Amino acid sequence: MELIVALIPLLPFAGFVITLLLGKWVLGKRADVIPVLMATASWVLSMYVFVRVVADPEYVFDWNAFTWISSGALETTWGFYIDPLAAIMLLVVGTIGMVVHYYSIGYMKGDEGYYRFFAYLNLFMFAMFILVMANNYLLMFLAWEGVGLCSYLLIGFWFRKKSASQAGKKAFLVNRVGDFGFMLGMLLMFLTFGSLQFTEVFADVGAAGPAALLGICLLLFTGAVGKSAQFPLHVWLPDAMEGPTPVSALIHAATMVNAGVYMVARSYPLYIDSHTAMYVVMGVGTFTAIYAALIALTQNDIKRVIAYSTVSSLGFMFMALGSGAWVAGIFYLLTHGFFKGLLFLGSGAVIHAMSGQQDMRFMGGLRRKLPITYWTMMVGALAMVGIFPFAGFWAKDEIIGFEFTHHLYYIWVVGLITAFITGIYMFRLMFMTFHGQNRSSPGVQEHIHESRPIMTVPLIILAIPAALAGVLAGWPPESGWIHRFLHPVFFDIESEPFGIVAFILLLVSLVIGAAGITVAWYLYLQRPELPGRLAARFPRAYGASLNKFYMDEIYEAAVIRPVIGFAGWLWTFVDTRVIDGAVNGLAWLWGRFGRLLRPLQTGRAQSYALGILVGVVVLIVVFRIVEG
Amino acid sequence: MNAVEWYFVLAALLFCIGAYGVLARRNLIIVVMSLELMLNAVNLALVAVANFVPAAAGRGTLFVLFVITIAAAEVTVGLAIIIANYRNRRTVQADEYHDMKG
Amino acid sequence: MPGGDFHPVYFSIVAAWILVAGIGVVASRSVVRAAVSMVLCFLGVAFAFALLNSALLAIVQILIYVGAISVVIIFGIMLTETPAGPRQQFFNRQSVIAAPLVVATAVLVAVILVSGDLLTAGETAVNPGLRQLSSLLFNRYVLPFELVSLVLLAAMIGAIVLARREDRQ
Repeated sequence: MELIVALIPLLPFAGFVITLLLGKWVLGKRADVIPVLMATASWVLSMYVFVRVVADPEYVFDWNAFTWISSGALETTWGFYIDPLAAIMLLVVGTIGMVVHYYSIGYMKGDEGYYRFFAYLNLFMFAMFILVMANNYLLMFLAWEGVGLCSYLLIGFWFRKKSASQAGKKAFLVNRVGDFGFMLGMLLMFLTFGSLQFTEVFADVGAAGPAALLGICLLLFTGAVGKSAQFPLHVWLPDAMEGPTPVSALIHAATMVNAGVYMVARSYPLYIDSHTAMYVVMGVGTFTAIYAALIALTQNDIKRVIAYSTVSSLGFMFMALGSGAWVAGIFYLLTHGFFKGLLFLGSGAVIHAMSGQQDMRFMGGLRRKLPITYWTMMVGALAMVGIFPFAGFWAKDEIIGFEFTHHLYYIWVVGLITAFITGIYMFRLMFMTFHGQNRSSPGVQEHIHESRPIMTVPLIILAIPAALAGVLAGWPPESGWIHRFLHPVFFDIESEPFGIVAFILLLVSLVIGAAGITVAWYLYLQRPELPGRLAARFPRAYGASLNKFYMDEIYEAAVIRPVIGFAGWLWTFVDTRVIDGAVNGLAWLWGRFGRLLRPLQTGRAQSYALGILVGVVVLIVVFRIVEG
Repeated sequence: MNAVEWYFVLAALLFCIGAYGVLARRNLIIVVMSLELMLNAVNLALVAVANFVPAAAGRGTLFVLFVITIAAAEVTVGLAIIIANYRNRRTVQADEYHDMKG
Repeated sequence: MPGGDFHPVYFSIVAAWILVAGIGVVASRSVVRAAVSMVLCFLGVAFAFALLNSALLAIVQILIYVGAISVVIIFGIMLTETPAGPRQQFFNRQSVIAAPLVVATAVLVAVILVSGDLLTAGETAVNPGLRQLSSLLFNRYVLPFELVSLVLLAAMIGAIVLARREDRQ
C-alpha cells in the first residue's frame, strides 16, 4: 500500500520532469505519450486505493514517509493519510485528470507549447494528489501552493496574449490573500495545538479555547475562500477562463477549486466545535451561490457562464458544509466534479467547432452538427440544474432539503431561488448554443464539425457518472451509500431515514429547477426578443449583472487605486525625500569631513617625510614614558 | 660614556643633519645627497657596534657592505627618476611636484 | 694609523670633520659646493671606518661613495639646472618647523642610545679579519649576496630605461 500511495503522485511528477526536459527537442509531437500514460497509471492506482477503502470504510491509512522539517517543537513529515474522504477526492481527481489528459491530445493538437501543456498538467496532478493525501496541514499547504502555481502557469499558458498573462497574475495575487490567511491559520494552530498533523490536532480539539478555535477556523476558511473562489475573492476564477478549456475543466471546475471545500471538510473536527465559524462558512457560501448565479444569467461568453456556475456551485458546497450537511456537501463535490468537467469539456468542443468563438450570441443551432457534444452536454446541464434522475438532483436537492428539515428556512429559500436561476442560465446556455439559427459568419459556419473521437469519447465517459453517480451513491436520500461510506469521517452526523417530508422537499426543488428550464425555454426559444426588452426595461439590474456587480471596479477603487497611490507616495516622498535624502546627506557629511582633512594631503613628498619624523618623535616619547 | 656611545652620538647627529636636508631643501639632488648622509650615519653606527661588541663581530661589517650596495642602486634609480621628471617639468624643485593631492 | 681601540683625539678630529662637512651639504646654496662637501663627508666617514679597524669598509667607502656615487650625483647636477636666488629658493616652507624637530630627534636618539645599556661593549677592538668576513659572506650570507646582485642589475636596467631620452621620430 505504501508503494502504491507513493507512486500515485510520483508518476505524474516523473512525467512532468521528463516531458519538460525532453519535450521541446526530443519528444516534439509525441510529448503527450508519457504524461497520458502517467495519468492513466495514477488513475488505475487511485482506483485501487478507492476500491480498497470502499471494501472497508473503517480502513485508515496513515503513513509518514519521511521527516520533512524538524525544528524545535515543529515536526513535519511527508506523510499520507487515506480515509473515505481522501478516497473520494482521489476518485474525482484521478478520473477527471485522466479524461482531461486524453481530451487535451485532441484539443491542444498543433499548439506550439504542446509539451509544456502536458508537463504542467502532470505537475498539477502531482500537486493535487499530494494535496488530497497529505496527512498534515503544512504538506497540504505546500501542495496547495503547488496547484496554485500550476493554475497560474496554465491560465497564462498563452502568455503572448496580454489578457491571459494578466488573468494568470490576477489569479495568483488574489489567491495570495487567501493563502496568507491559511498560513496564519496554521501558525495559530501550531501555537494552540503544537502540531500540524491531522490526527494529533483532531485528537486535541477539546483542549483549545473557543476563541482560538474560531480564529483557526476562520483563517483556514480565508484560504478556502481564495482557492474555492468564494465572495469576495471570487474575481480570479472567471478571468481564469483565459486558459485552455481542458485546464478550465480540470483545475477550475473539477479539482483545484474543490481544494477549499476539501480542506474545510478535512478540518471537520475543528469546525464542528465552532458554531460561529460554521455560520460564517454557511453565510459566505449561500451569498456566493446566489450572487454568482445572478451574474451567470447575463454573461455572453460560454465559458464565463460555466465559470460563474462553478462559483455558485462551490458556494452551494460551503453552504452545505456550514449548515451541517457535510456528507451532502462532499456528495455534491463528487457529482459536481463530473458534470462540471463534462460541461467545460463540452464547451471546449463547441469552441473548437466554432473556430475559437466563445461568444454565445454568435452561436446557435449546433444541435444537429454536434450531436454527441449536444447530448452529453445536455446530460451535464440537466445534472447541473438537478433534474431527476441525473447526478445533481441527488446531491443538490439533498442539500436544499437539508436546510428545510434543519429549520434554516432563509437558506432554504435562497437555495431554491438559486436553483431556479441555475435552471434559467444553464438552459439559456444550451438554447443559445445548440438551438435556433446559427448566427456566426459563413466562413465559420463552413468549418463547424463534430470533434474527433479523442475529444468526444471523454465527453461520453464523463456523461456516464454525470448521469448515474447520483443515484448510485445517493439513493435513498439522506441515508444512501455515500452516507454510510463517509460516516467514519464525519462521525458525529447521524443519517436520517428517508421520509415523506424529504420526498416532498425533493419534489419542490425538482419543480423549481424544471420551472427555471421552462422560463429559459420561453425566453430564449419561444420569445427570443423578450430578453432584450427585459434588459432595456431594467437597465440597472441588467447592467449590474452583466458587469458582475461591479466587483472588479470596486476592487479597483478600494484596493488597487489606494495601493498605487500609496506606492506613489512611497516613491515621491519616502524614497526620494527620506531615503535619498538620508543617503545624500550622509555623503554630504563625509564630503565636508573629507574637505577638513584634505589639506593634510599636500602632494609634497617632503611634508609626508616630516609626518614620518613627527611620528618617530612621538613614538619615542611615548615609549620612554611607558617604560618609565 | 664608552666608545660605542661616542660613535652613536656622532651617528645620531649626522643622521639628523641628513634628515634636515631631506626635509628642508628644495633641490632634489641635495635631497638625494642628504639621504646618503643619513645612510652613512647608520653605517657608522653599525661599524662601531661591529668593532666594539663581540656578539656583532663580522656581521655588522657585512651588513654595512649590503647597505652600501643597495645605496648605490638607490642613488642610481633616484637620480634617473629626477632626470626623467626634469625632462618633463624642467625643474628639480621638490615642492613643485605636488600633483598627487586631494 | 692607530687601529681599533678608541682614541679620543682622533675621534674628535674625525667627528668634527664629518659634522662640518655634513652641515656643508645641507646648508650650502650652491649645488656644486654641496656636492664637494658631500665628498668630504664621505671621506670623513671613510676615516672613521679606518679608525674602527675596518680597512675593507674604508676602502669600499672611498671606492663607491667618494668615487662612484659622487660621480653619479655630479652627472645629475650637470644634467639639471638650479635657479639662483634668495634663501626661499633653497629651503622650503617647512624648513622652519623641521629644524626644531630634527634637533629634538637628535637629542632623543642620542639620549636613548647612550643611556640604554643596549650593548655590552668594551674599549677594545674585536673586528675580525678579512678572511673570516669572506668565509661568512660566501657561506652563510651567500643568498643575500646573490639577491643584492639581482637588485643591482634591476637598478641598472631601471636607471637606463628611466633616464633614456625617448626618440619619437
